[in-house]
Amino acid sequence: MPLLQVRNLKTYYQTARGYVKAVDGVNFQIGEGEVFGLAGESGCGKTTVALSIIRLLPPGGRIIDGEIMFNDKNILAMSEEDIRKIRWKKIAIVFQGAMNALNPVMKVGDQIVEAITTHEDVSKEEAWRRAEKLLEMVGIEPSRAKDYPHEFSGGMKQRVMIAMALACNPQLLIADEPATALDVIVQAQILKLMRDLQRKMNLSMMLITHDLSIIAETCNKVAIMYAGKIVEYADTKRIFREPQHPYTRGLIGAFPSIKGPRRKLISIPGTPPDLLNPPSGCRFHPRCPYTNDKCKSMEPELKDLGGGHYVACHMPW
Amino acid sequence: MSLPRLMEDYMKSLREFANIFFKNKFGVVGVAILSVFIFMAIFAPQISPYNPMDVKSIGIGKPFSPPAWIKIFNKDIPDDSVFGILGTDELGRDIFSQIVYGSRISLLVGFAASFTAVFIGTIIGLVAGYYGGIIDEVLMRFADILLIIPGLPLMIVLAAILGSSIRNIILVIGITSWPSIARIIRSQVLTVKEMKFVEFARAAGCGDNYIIFKHILPNVMPLVYVNAAINIANAILIEAGLSFLGLGDPNNISWGMMLFFAEQYQALLRLAWWYIFPPGICILLVVLSFIFIGHALDEILNPRLRLRR
Amino acid sequence: MSEFKGYIVRRTVYAIITLFLTITINFFIFRVMPGDPVSIMVSERILKPSVVEEVRAMFGLNLPLWQQYILYIRNLLIGYFGYSFHWKEPVINVIMERMPNTILLMGVSTILSVIIGIILGVLAAWKRGTKVDVTILTSSLMFYSLPVFWIGMMLLMLFGYYLGIFPIAGTMSRPPPEGFFERILDLLHHMTLPTITLTLISYGEYTLLMRGTLLDVLTQDYIVTARAKGLPERRVLVKHAMRNALLPTVTAVAISLGFIVSGATLTETVFSWNGIGRLIYDAMMMRDYPVLQGAFLIISISVILANYVADIVYGILDPRIRYGGQGA
Repeated sequence: MPLLQVRNLKTYYQTARGYVKAVDGVNFQIGEGEVFGLAGESGCGKTTVALSIIRLLPPGGRIIDGEIMFNDKNILAMSEEDIRKIRWKKIAIVFQGAMNALNPVMKVGDQIVEAITTHEDVSKEEAWRRAEKLLEMVGIEPSRAKDYPHEFSGGMKQRVMIAMALACNPQLLIADEPATALDVIVQAQILKLMRDLQRKMNLSMMLITHDLSIIAETCNKVAIMYAGKIVEYADTKRIFREPQHPYTRGLIGAFPSIKGPRRKLISIPGTPPDLLNPPSGCRFHPRCPYTNDKCKSMEPELKDLGGGHYVACHMPW
Repeated sequence: MSLPRLMEDYMKSLREFANIFFKNKFGVVGVAILSVFIFMAIFAPQISPYNPMDVKSIGIGKPFSPPAWIKIFNKDIPDDSVFGILGTDELGRDIFSQIVYGSRISLLVGFAASFTAVFIGTIIGLVAGYYGGIIDEVLMRFADILLIIPGLPLMIVLAAILGSSIRNIILVIGITSWPSIARIIRSQVLTVKEMKFVEFARAAGCGDNYIIFKHILPNVMPLVYVNAAINIANAILIEAGLSFLGLGDPNNISWGMMLFFAEQYQALLRLAWWYIFPPGICILLVVLSFIFIGHALDEILNPRLRLRR
Repeated sequence: MSEFKGYIVRRTVYAIITLFLTITINFFIFRVMPGDPVSIMVSERILKPSVVEEVRAMFGLNLPLWQQYILYIRNLLIGYFGYSFHWKEPVINVIMERMPNTILLMGVSTILSVIIGIILGVLAAWKRGTKVDVTILTSSLMFYSLPVFWIGMMLLMLFGYYLGIFPIAGTMSRPPPEGFFERILDLLHHMTLPTITLTLISYGEYTLLMRGTLLDVLTQDYIVTARAKGLPERRVLVKHAMRNALLPTVTAVAISLGFIVSGATLTETVFSWNGIGRLIYDAMMMRDYPVLQGAFLIISISVILANYVADIVYGILDPRIRYGGQGA
């Protein structure tokens, strides 16, 4: 059984102007020890998926429909009490921009200790020792546990977040744009760190990002999200070698390759859709070079192309 | 762009804003209450039975008569001991008329004083925040000093010196209120200044004036509106306070002045509740309406419901 | 750590400069006032011009302005704030007679307002959007809009004149009762209505501040992190949200404490409370400039002091300032 199974998840935000359909029927699953990538433009609903899984939506957000099966139990049907037990202990999350994700008036060590003592029955001293070891594991001087967040640089804060996330040995780690706000060198370090930790602890990981190169490096499977829906889903290798959906093709083509021949960068024309009133039929049709009438009126279902490769597109390839 | 098109766009966004504004309960109540008083102020001569500033209205009724409708509760009271909708004051003048005409002073002073303070405060805040450096230091020190000197005492002194006229009251309130607005505007300007589009505008060679008025000011205006509403509320309270102390314009009647006379002529001792209750309630309601409107604006314009991407 | 020292030094210098500027401005404001105080004073009786000149010289009013200024500063340093025209005693005495009354009244009502305000503010923010929140919000806004003198008058009329439960004027009965304990009780009795009045109109400000700050804090990322860690809601609120929300609140409270000295002129008038607020009004009507100048100065000094203390306290409480600087 897969560790996490998301079925037909629909999460909307209620705003003064109506419902924003951030996540509109999303399906995927993550197995044990698997690294799953969720890719797409900013605002396509990726973070909302993550927040839905741990049920921490901001005010105005509501999960309208669907099931999230974790270890064969539906998260969406759990009581507040039960889901709090799962948070961090089983599913931990690292947010993007750790700039503000750590409490500025608490020592870093105390924040990690808090995570541990909430879920496990250990003494404060024991927890503090574990916190120091965790910091060491992510490459930070253990003595710095008594420092405050503002005394760390961006990259180091991200490491602290990762250390904190792994404090209770979770089964699933969700990383939302873990390296986006950092410069390239630090980015590479953080990613390597995460890969090593994942392998060592046999963690399942859900990596959310708009940066396909990160996905190419780290993930086993990828789902491409657009306008609240998943448009393509396959092994990483297959998606990069044979992208089927025009949006995926555009995304991959938009990234230059140092090794490959010089060519013109493909960019996807148009702007991301308004999720208050998404386009009819296939949501990508206003920006797709291959649109026909069917695309404008009928929403494509995810087609199984064989070998675990799914595409939501009307075009026969 | 042609003027009709500009007006169209402007009206559209105004309509949109009104839509959102009137969904807010505080906003609706505030505007409703305020409308009543604005109506009262504009149509005062039509609504009020007498003109309180007219000498002829003195002695219309017996001094300190309670309102006529208390006869419903106590039929034995002789007819000439009661008068009108709200009774009479120490000179036998109709209180209801005074209330109606009093709305004019409160609203006038409130708007004018607040406008002065907001105008000065915004300009100084913009200049100090945008240019920074020595200009900023000097302006802010100046503002700090004004903030440190106790407000009401300073106004008492100024009002007593300059003499009590409507214009002076407006001036006094305006001059003492601009510093807090200036500070708020200034810190907002500092934030907006760092935003990318300002950098781009400068790189594109735009002049300072252009950047200030076309880029920074529009982003600061929402804050200005919220503060303006609260400022008007404070101005009205201050005018009432100064009038209560006897520093009001003797040529006009305001609600604060009514309470001044009430106190002077022992209305408390006589338990003349019809003299004391109405002016205060009116001040409360008008101030409340502006506070509610300000709060509604704050809720709408303040992004407290931030959506995470 | 040196960052913190730098912060303290800067705040101290700033306070001293502001103090000096305030003293100077205070001096000039009252010197350029129209209305010759001496003529007002002597209008009570007819005097020979030479005597008038003598009185002028006594108050140093015949010296050039800059000399008066030096004299003024020198006097301040020895604690001499001038001589009251009207009350005919040193200004410092006039003020000190009334200062304790004001501090008592304002102090108690400020403390009550802060406590009530913080409690209600936290409650409103926690139960955001519910009836509790709306009720607290509406009542805070309503009481904030009350004209203070009016609510004082109403309370006075009801409880003082009509029901007779509370005294209608003054700080203490005349003649004051025998015995220390009885005096305290009498004082409290007189203090009740004005304190209630002041607290009613002030608590709203603190409620709105606390609620607003707390709501802002609750949208921060680290709150989501805290919840994601599986912490119970109460712990998130107290340990994470409040710790951050209290910082600006503490600053605001400290600054308010500085204004305790300025007194509540309007309340003191309604209740005939013998305090500084009412003193300023009376002195103004009597054109007693030395008293005005002295009162303004004392109030300004205490505000500057309070702001200074507020800055220091904030610096201690906020680890970003206390342990400032970026790690490598």
